[in-house]
Amino acid sequence: MKRTLAFLLAFVMVAMALVGCNPKKGNGDDTGDVGGKNPNGSVEITEFDPNAKYTYKAAVSTVPTGWNPHTYQTADDAVYFDYTTDSLYTLFFNDEIHPQEGREAFEGYVIVPSMAADFPVDVTEAVKASHPQFNIPESATSGYAWEVTLRDGLKWQDGTPITAQDFVDSLERVLRPELINFRATDYDHGTYAVVNAEAYSHSGRYVLGEFVSAALGDDEYVDPADFTVSENGTYQVDGQDVVIDLTSGGNWGDSLLDYYNTKDAEKEEDRMPEAIINAIGALIEKADANNWVYINAETIKMVQDVIAMLHGAPNVEAYAAAPGVGDYAYQEFEEMAFLGKTWDTASFDDVGLFADGNKLTFVFANALDGFYLMTYGMSTSYLVKTDVYDKSLKPTESASGTAWSSTYGTDLDTSVSYGPYVLTEYQNGKSMHFSKNENWWGWTSDVYTYVDPDNGKCYRMYQTTDVDLQYVKEAATQKQMFLNGQLMTYGLQSNDYDDYRNSDYYYATPAETIYFLLFNGYESVINDREAAADFDKNARDLQTQMLESFRRGCAVSIDREDMAKTVSPARQGGYAFIGNTYIYDPETCAYYRDTDQAKQALVNFYSINLADYDNDLDKAVDAITGYDPETAKAKFAEAYQEALAKGYITDADNDGKSDQTVTMYYAGSGEINEFFSKTIDYLNTSLNNGAKGTGLEGKIEIVYENAGENEWNNKLRSGLLDTQLAGWSGAVLDPFSMADTWTDSSAAYWGAWYDATKHDMELTIDGEKITMSLRDWALCLNGTMTKVGDKEYNFGYGQTTVENRLTILAAIEEQMLTAYNCVPILQNGSGALLSKQVYYIVEDYNPMMGRGGIQYMKYNFSDTEWETYVQEQGGTLAY
Amino acid sequence: MFKYVLQRILYMFLVFMIITFMCFVLIRMLPLPVLPPEDKHTYQILRRREALGYNEPYLVQFWLFLKNIVTKWDWGLSEKLYFGQDVWKIFVGKLPATMIVNLYSIIWTIPVGVGLGVWAALKKNTWIDYFLSTATMVVISVPSFVYAFLVQYILCFRLHWFPFLMKGGTDYFSWDMFVSIVPPVLSLSFGVIAGFCRTTRAELTEVLTSEFMLLARTKGLTRAQATVRHALRNCFVVIVPGIFGEFIGILGGSLIIEGIFAIPGVGRLTLDAINSLDYNIFMLSTCFYTAIGLAASLVVDISYGFIDPRIRMGSKK
Repeated sequence: MKRTLAFLLAFVMVAMALVGCNPKKGNGDDTGDVGGKNPNGSVEITEFDPNAKYTYKAAVSTVPTGWNPHTYQTADDAVYFDYTTDSLYTLFFNDEIHPQEGREAFEGYVIVPSMAADFPVDVTEAVKASHPQFNIPESATSGYAWEVTLRDGLKWQDGTPITAQDFVDSLERVLRPELINFRATDYDHGTYAVVNAEAYSHSGRYVLGEFVSAALGDDEYVDPADFTVSENGTYQVDGQDVVIDLTSGGNWGDSLLDYYNTKDAEKEEDRMPEAIINAIGALIEKADANNWVYINAETIKMVQDVIAMLHGAPNVEAYAAAPGVGDYAYQEFEEMAFLGKTWDTASFDDVGLFADGNKLTFVFANALDGFYLMTYGMSTSYLVKTDVYDKSLKPTESASGTAWSSTYGTDLDTSVSYGPYVLTEYQNGKSMHFSKNENWWGWTSDVYTYVDPDNGKCYRMYQTTDVDLQYVKEAATQKQMFLNGQLMTYGLQSNDYDDYRNSDYYYATPAETIYFLLFNGYESVINDREAAADFDKNARDLQTQMLESFRRGCAVSIDREDMAKTVSPARQGGYAFIGNTYIYDPETCAYYRDTDQAKQALVNFYSINLADYDNDLDKAVDAITGYDPETAKAKFAEAYQEALAKGYITDADNDGKSDQTVTMYYAGSGEINEFFSKTIDYLNTSLNNGAKGTGLEGKIEIVYENAGENEWNNKLRSGLLDTQLAGWSGAVLDPFSMADTWTDSSAAYWGAWYDATKHDMELTIDGEKITMSLRDWALCLNGTMTKVGDKEYNFGYGQTTVENRLTILAAIEEQMLTAYNCVPILQNGSGALLSKQVYYIVEDYNPMMGRGGIQYMKYNFSDTEWETYVQEQGGTLAY
Repeated sequence: MFKYVLQRILYMFLVFMIITFMCFVLIRMLPLPVLPPEDKHTYQILRRREALGYNEPYLVQFWLFLKNIVTKWDWGLSEKLYFGQDVWKIFVGKLPATMIVNLYSIIWTIPVGVGLGVWAALKKNTWIDYFLSTATMVVISVPSFVYAFLVQYILCFRLHWFPFLMKGGTDYFSWDMFVSIVPPVLSLSFGVIAGFCRTTRAELTEVLTSEFMLLARTKGLTRAQATVRHALRNCFVVIVPGIFGEFIGILGGSLIIEGIFAIPGVGRLTLDAINSLDYNIFMLSTCFYTAIGLAASLVVDISYGFIDPRIRMGSKK
């Protein structure tokens, strides 16, 4: 009996161990408890084996070539900062030590002081009184000036202390006018600008600023008659010269020189008409050495004519006479005209950052608070060790004078870490190796700790002791190295998904971009195209795609998840304008798609009967596939009848089938490749399957047309081409701003035929029924004061409750979906394998935190154990 | 002879200057990357381009470029790839890796290639000749990067004999470095060996049937002596230029191989410089390859005189 009981007990224990075992988490912690407590004093810190080495080995496609925080330009170079820098405030996953109300552990994040000793203190009133040079608005009582006390014990990698003055001196250097540092604009422009930083960085220089229409606000133009005239005849706005930079297209994208240079194109179709080339050539003759044309009484007409010609009109007068153009013809050049002026000489003493002992005071040009203040406003990425920095500066004689360069952050001698790791080996173009920075305060502090959700133990972050980055160019090489245990991750290629999609070590990462299938609704242009001599009206039809029934039929014919698997395995089905990675409240990491408003919008759009799902929104949303063959058939049948009635198609032989093939021309940007080919094949098959049993069966075709790299966009917007699987994304922390883009006719693909200012929407906000156009709702949601009758509304950030803003955003999204200018099909994403040597303690992806990176990465094997393990497996691992 | 060499060097210099100027102007004529209009950094880049004199006439820029090289041996600073760094230092730092791989490749491909060619020629119209000729045709038709992937897959991934990538560091003559260089050297060598084999076989086959070879044998020389002393020497008039040509060819071929095996050499640097329009790195690379090419052609011409005394340099008769 005892034996039987013992056997049963053993069996149960083994079974429990197996059930609880995560295959990604192997042979335990490799740790020993050696005491220590976390900040709340409740949990012992479990230390990792101090003698073990844990090396994170990664492949990079480009080894950083320079990581001067004032000049780096690429994300590749920024990799260095991931390991070697610290910040005043940082984000941690929420857990027992860093709790967040109402959220399960590791579902969100919290802001934690890192180099700062505590959270910032608002000193607006005091600074306003003591430093009038900062021009803090009289009415402002908070948000402009913030004081931060630095943590004790901050050190550079060589052990010398980091002081508050180091931050000030570093900001001075990044902004120093003669250095023309690439990163200066991170601190002197925009929402997070330090006050007077721009005046200092532009000190004594003639600088072209923003283009006119942007400088004056969204969609604002100046009547040229209102320009003032300077002494030398140059037109001005607010005392600044109006200048065309021939090398920059401003808001237009392509510059006038780009158009001019098409004269040398090999193919005739790639060349601009001779009249345009000549007109731009005349402007070039008026330009100075910088290729700048100062707008005056003579050049304004030349520029206006060029713009008109680019629209196909002979001159600006003819362009203005075209329907719906009018005065805009005379003002459109302001989208590529910049405002230029010579800045007064300024002193850094007036720039809004100063130190007092271990306290730093920031003064911003705009009021800031909370998350944005601590993460973006107080970004101190400009921190450099100034003695090393100054030695690295070098003047270079150029044809135009002197240009300064710096070798700071280009090798071991010029790199100074103040973060967890220090650069210990570097071979340019080949590899980088980082080891623990023993002088980083975080290794011995209790701040960088977390509670593992699996075992409830408290650990220090950064189990990794070394980081090894190697240049590995080819994906095939990366894969082989990964399988031989030499790399930690491998980003899957499209042909890998069949083998690894179901692996325990596979991680899918969603991205922001949603891909939409566009429809052409530009009726007059479609009619013109059909009327063209070379269009065979008996064989093809372009008009039916304008019918809503046809578009709805298309929308529900496509099995999105199947399409993703077939065409682009890294992606997933897309069902809405806003994907599932957008956060509407960065303070709490709250996702827009998780809100009731957003769910209801989808339920409405996909005509889901909530009662079928126990009135549970979550269940109803989970059931959405976007694929409904029955509805597709009904809608295509309806479209067929409608198209016949309108004369878009015919059925001369009365066989119940359209005589014409409903055709949509796909706007390609180059020769068709495998991806496009698969996409179009899939779409054609899906749409015709959806139309089975209707008069459109076998009569729908998407045809790829190479419109050229520069023209596909214009052709889509002008209705000359019909469709595309177009990607669209927005700011991950501000889904509200996307509503602005959808309803802005100058930004949206459908702007030429769908005018959001003419589509009204009624909403009840705070018990009040308000009706305004979709465009006004979108503007109002993004902070524009909007007048309805006698009342003015502003539903921008901080102007109303978040709930109201969500209600408005969801309503606009639903309206835009039901307009069927496009239908969401796919959401972008990527997939990767993670080595068996490590695991993430967080499985779910968070747009701000990822899966925690090496900060939260844990090891199943130390380096030595891993080597043995790989050898035991025969040198090649199975995933 | 001396006069001829001097004359060739002068011509070489002239050609070098013309090529350099052409490349200087052509790379600058390529449109610079379009700067995103809504990116706030755009104006910093434009200001910097202006400060660097990009808007000045090409001749002014070229004059300054030459002046800095001649007076200060200053090839300028990198503006894109290695922002603010001295391009000469970068280039010189990367040159050894390229040279060592090419050197190893040349060192073993010449004897193996020529040896196989001699064997095929001596065994003309036997199965050995047929096999080598066929194999040569097949091998020569496949680009070196295909071998790179095969070598990497078989020798590194499957058999675990060699590391996937060239070893880091500058200990170019250490054993570990040698082992790590074997895969790229092999990848570069197959085609070159085949090339030497084909050329040698073709030349030697013809020479071996010459009357002077019969005379050599009738003088009492053994077949080996006659082949090495007379036949091979005649062949070298064709083979030696081929060796220099292959050296230049390997430098070019290694542009891709360097990427695959992570060799931190100048080949990859040149490609990257072109793609990113890093003017100064591109110009230094161009000057280097141009100088090597011109010098090689000069050495080849001069070497004719040593290989074949019948060829007299600069003779007008």
